[in-house]
Amino acid sequence: MSKLIVRAIDLSKVYRRGKVNVPALNNVNLQVSSGEIVGIMGPSGSGKTTLLNIIGGLDKPTLGKIFVDGVDITSLNEKDLADYRLKKVGFVFQFYNLIPILTALENVEIPLALMGAPKDERRERALNLLRMVGLENRADHKPDELSGGEQQRVAIARALANNPSIVLADEPTGDLDSKSAMAFMKIVRDLNRRNDQTFIIVTHDPLVVEQCTKIYTIRDGRIESA
Amino acid sequence: MFSWSLAVRNLKRRRLRTALTASGIVVGISMMFILLSLVSGMETQARSLARALGGADITVSNSTSFRDRMGGGGFFGALPSPSTLDASIAETISGIPGVYAVSPQFSLSGSINGRRVTVYGVEPASYEIVTGGLNIVEGRFLSENGDGEIVMGKALMDFLNLTLGQTVSLSAGQEEEGRIFTVVGVFETGMIFQEYAGYVTLADAQNITGEHGLLTQILVKCEDPSIVSDVASLISSTVPDVRVTTPTATIQQASQMLNTLTMFFATIGLVALFAGSFGVINTMIMSITERTREIGVLKAIGAKNHDIMKIFLVESLLIGLIGGGVGVAVGSILAYVFPMLTSGLFAAGASPFGMRNPFSSAVNPGLGGRAASTIMFATPAITPLNIAICFSLGALVGILAGLYPAWRASRMKPVEALRHV
Repeated sequence: MSKLIVRAIDLSKVYRRGKVNVPALNNVNLQVSSGEIVGIMGPSGSGKTTLLNIIGGLDKPTLGKIFVDGVDITSLNEKDLADYRLKKVGFVFQFYNLIPILTALENVEIPLALMGAPKDERRERALNLLRMVGLENRADHKPDELSGGEQQRVAIARALANNPSIVLADEPTGDLDSKSAMAFMKIVRDLNRRNDQTFIIVTHDPLVVEQCTKIYTIRDGRIESA
Repeated sequence: MFSWSLAVRNLKRRRLRTALTASGIVVGISMMFILLSLVSGMETQARSLARALGGADITVSNSTSFRDRMGGGGFFGALPSPSTLDASIAETISGIPGVYAVSPQFSLSGSINGRRVTVYGVEPASYEIVTGGLNIVEGRFLSENGDGEIVMGKALMDFLNLTLGQTVSLSAGQEEEGRIFTVVGVFETGMIFQEYAGYVTLADAQNITGEHGLLTQILVKCEDPSIVSDVASLISSTVPDVRVTTPTATIQQASQMLNTLTMFFATIGLVALFAGSFGVINTMIMSITERTREIGVLKAIGAKNHDIMKIFLVESLLIGLIGGGVGVAVGSILAYVFPMLTSGLFAAGASPFGMRNPFSSAVNPGLGGRAASTIMFATPAITPLNIAICFSLGALVGILAGLYPAWRASRMKPVEALRHV
């Protein structure tokens, strides 16, 4: 059995909307092993994104603990959380979220620059990553010169730049046609197989689901099935 | 890191907005630059002025300024000569307590080789005691019995193409033919228009006009600089019908005027800069709001607060630098054009052809009139220091104006920022 990379214990998250408490997560327990592709499904508003944000260190649970790579990330301060996001996690968003004024190559370079990597080194690594997602010939294009599928591939290259323990993706194929979605999932599959890369993917897309090694369904803030 | 190229590209992406925002700074910086250049220019001139006025503590002249107001060729032609005093008044003044020395002077509006100039008739010895003498750069000052000798300003020498030892024809009024004088010395004052003048002995000056025993000014040196104003009021109460002026007081007035001007420009410049900085704050907040999602993404992929802060601070710093740079350029052009405008306006007041300004002379005959003209004639000096100051000021405004927006950006919660559409 490969090692446990994410362990969430009794996670609860309550949002306050004015005077009303809105529960988003309710006693969620979750374990993800290294090298898995975990799919998280559920209707909208069920707490999928909240769970993903907590795992990714973007949000904090109201109650409960979560260990990633053995570190309790709920105990980290803001600065350490930023560091955690930089080194341990890669994010892929539904709407790609590339920086529009930077080229594909430069977008992939951002995490490396934030790490303080020298220019030559980060350029070479970013180019390798683009090659891996099949976009080396598009390196100098700006996001608005790329198709949705291409942008999402740049986004995954960016997510992988710092060699993270896990890649978190929030509906990564939600805005892609099925051909692009399949291409994207093929990359996920390849990375997973070749590098033993762990993915946690929030999705509705059956194309994604069929590639996952494990599926969780969340309803009303609770994990229903494993 | 990425901050610089990000900032440059973001500013380029919104060229018009960047230009408009920076122009707010440009206005303020160019104001400040003109101000600093003017002050630098005035400082230089004030130094030469102080030297030119160096000696005489008090100037005494007739209280009615001109003998024949509007006489001769009118305003800008042959100017009226100053009213005269009886030479005996000099004796009276030298007896007043606190007076160290007096030097009688007879100035006239004359012609040298046909060129209208101011001619001063002085007693060489007492003139040197009272005023400290001219700044002789060639030859010597008048000798004690130096009849037929003339000391002329460098600018006038150059204008008339004369060299030391040559002779000139000097007459009162406009006659071409006059008495022949030999140039024995050349003086400089640092101010061209003051150099369109000649100095002869008192006796020669009186002979030219035929007004023997008369003076136009009496220059007074006091025993101590601290008693100048007391001695001045003592003179005006003792001697009837005279105007007593103290060049030091004139310089003080001038420097007060200069200070007022400085404050005026400084205030306008600062207000403009202040307004400009609000433009920068506004633009930065706008662009941060537009890029909220981008900030969320950067934070999600690991940017720390100070990374975000830096990105936006660099951007506002760049706006400040653009504003500072263009402001200095615009300011330089204006500082160059400014003296042309003022010399046009005040041409009558500071004509380099030796005609004394009727207005300033009326107010303050004698040396005081020069001070007033000098202020009008201020030439801005563009110095590297001023350029550096204004450039840095632009940068400083950029950074200060960027602080709050950048701080706000850096404090955004990534989850909320990412939700922003």
